[in-house]
Amino acid sequence: MSRPSFFHHLHPPTIPKREASFTYNLGLGGLAVFLILVVGITGMLEMFYYVPSIEQANASVQTITYLVPLGWIVRGAHYWSAQALVVVTVLHLLRVALTGAYKDRRFNWLLGLMALGLILFLNFSGYALRWDRDISWALLVGTNLIKTIPFVGTVLYGVVVGGNQINSATPARFYAWHIFGLMLPAFIILVWHLFQVRRDGGIAHIAEARKSRISRDELVGRETFVALLATIALLAVSVLSPPAITPAADFASLPDNPTAPWFFVWVQELLRLGDPFFFGVLIPSIITILVALVPYLIDRSSSGVAVWFNKEGRVAQWIVWVMLLVIIGLTIRGALR
Amino acid sequence: MTNRLVFLLTSILLIAILAIITWLESSKPKAIALIPALTNQPEYCLTCHNGIEPVSAAHPTEVFGCVRCHGGERLALDKDLAHSTMRGGRNPSDFSVVERSCGGSECHSGAAKDERDHIARVMTSVQATYVGAITNVYFAFGGQPDQKPRYGMITVSGVDPMGKAIKLIEPPKSENQFLQKFLSNCSSCHLNAESINETNYHRLTGCAACHALTNSLGSYTGNDPTVKRSESGHANTHTLTAAISYSQCNACHNRGNYDLKTMTFNARADRPSNRQQDYYQPIAQFTKCEFELDCVDCHTANEVMGDGAIHENKKSIQDVQCQTCHGTLTTPPQTRTIQDVNDVALRRAFLNPKVPLAVGDVTVITAKGEAMWNIRKAADGSYRQIGKINGTIYDVPLVAGSKCKQKPDQQESKYCHECHAVRK
Repeated sequence: MSRPSFFHHLHPPTIPKREASFTYNLGLGGLAVFLILVVGITGMLEMFYYVPSIEQANASVQTITYLVPLGWIVRGAHYWSAQALVVVTVLHLLRVALTGAYKDRRFNWLLGLMALGLILFLNFSGYALRWDRDISWALLVGTNLIKTIPFVGTVLYGVVVGGNQINSATPARFYAWHIFGLMLPAFIILVWHLFQVRRDGGIAHIAEARKSRISRDELVGRETFVALLATIALLAVSVLSPPAITPAADFASLPDNPTAPWFFVWVQELLRLGDPFFFGVLIPSIITILVALVPYLIDRSSSGVAVWFNKEGRVAQWIVWVMLLVIIGLTIRGALR
Repeated sequence: MTNRLVFLLTSILLIAILAIITWLESSKPKAIALIPALTNQPEYCLTCHNGIEPVSAAHPTEVFGCVRCHGGERLALDKDLAHSTMRGGRNPSDFSVVERSCGGSECHSGAAKDERDHIARVMTSVQATYVGAITNVYFAFGGQPDQKPRYGMITVSGVDPMGKAIKLIEPPKSENQFLQKFLSNCSSCHLNAESINETNYHRLTGCAACHALTNSLGSYTGNDPTVKRSESGHANTHTLTAAISYSQCNACHNRGNYDLKTMTFNARADRPSNRQQDYYQPIAQFTKCEFELDCVDCHTANEVMGDGAIHENKKSIQDVQCQTCHGTLTTPPQTRTIQDVNDVALRRAFLNPKVPLAVGDVTVITAKGEAMWNIRKAADGSYRQIGKINGTIYDVPLVAGSKCKQKPDQQESKYCHECHAVRK
């Protein structure tokens, strides 16, 4: 056997066979890491052309889409890997919740949840950077929600938007948030999250199954295969369904129907119910806090680790299910509107 | 082995999709960039519209490009997106958008004193407002107490060049069935109304109604490869002209008549083949010059496009009479020597490829002083007219010194027609 490569060294020499199987972990964590790599690399390529100004933001996205050689496929891969990342991260969270993999790994659960939050905001800021008609409502409503936060809302709004309303500084501000303000912490948390898995003893597993393990060669092979499939899927979706682009945003004449990006449609549905701070800020925060508290308050047991639907974690599993189903239900309701 | 096989097949799949992407990339049309001097921003419309005609000598493509007038997404190579923000669809000169397309103080919304206020002026013209017909019909059918102009197909408010306030509002709905029928049947005959979509009626709206020549089918015959040749609703070519031949005027003015008894439009089905015999008014009389010349050879810009004031009917803005060119028994036609290099007549003549005009030329003028710059007084005292469309030179006979027995107070055309009308 040849000496392990850099990529092999990123993995533990062996990992438990049962937990390394696709039927247990569904490949979601690894897929998320791969998607982050894709979104990062394609994002870097887009940075060569994207111009974060009121006049040029939308024009530069159109330039990437229509004029830059292979720009359309780079943009397509960036967009679709970002969308997939939301789904994969949420499913990863669900897998970890349902297999009790959070037990005795409370901090890493928090890190993962933070990563999900950052991914959502990265998606939203990326969506806004398109600066076209379709994003204008979401940007307006989304940023106005910040203003409703008591005491700090106005200051926070200025920090996010770069003024007391959407203005010529806003594209640069969102660009800075996207590339630096959100991306850097997301990267740090991702690395920390991966490190923490190793620190916590590798993938959460059943103690008695320790004897049966697979080598990292096998693991890297599987990861490569999943990455290959994911690449094919991303390219195919990018070819068949390229990301949308509409004419430049004009906040003086907004489109007739307010639209949110699909991952925030549930927030838009909540907003229809009443007070924007209560429904748009407080309820999503409560959902997040409730999920964050799962390993701290709801299931502090150490047994049932790595067991799908383990008895000890029933309440925690139900809470995560209910939160997720509420979000999915609201999303479907919004989609059917 | 099976693992290796799966890997192999998956890799082949990846190579296949990369090949598809390469093929898609290489089959993209080669983008054609244009950076017009006025906007200094690249636009890629010519990627698809390669071959389209320049609008006119006054609107060179390399200066104006496409987007300055048409709007649209200059970078998009997707038809739907590229066209999504175009002004006025195909026609940026439609009055609903003309100010943004053709306006601006440097363009066609300039100062009234320089006669660069083309847009504001045309909005007051009888052709745009339809004020003459509305006023007369509303008065005749009890819709208004006098023949003062009140209502127009476009609303107008402001001040005319004489400093008088002008105002036209939409014609009010009426209980009167004649007026109701008038509004529903007869209000489509003004510059910004869509033309009847039938052979010989085709014209565009707004400025392009006159300045973009249409053929009898309303089809495009230019070199833009994207326009369907079988489709109506197009100008003949992507050009604007001030040399408007009589056939363009005919799209409205020789296509039928309104019947006031039934308040309907009686369209004519035939295409006039002989200008002398196929004039639309059966009872009208006319002289040779009225069917031999093009309409714009005698009818001036101010008459046709308005002078900024509201006129209650066509007659009150029709400044050109027989005597304008032919004089009377005692007076020769009024003339003016072009002296100022900024004279509006020089600007208008410059746009016309057939009629040269220079400082020092003596032109006939209307009673209001507007130069008829294609009608000149030569050094020997004779008068000549140059056809604006075809450059034909005509001698203009004078009344003075002829055997004409006209009375000094009978200068209207109907008196001239008594002797000079041509038998149909």
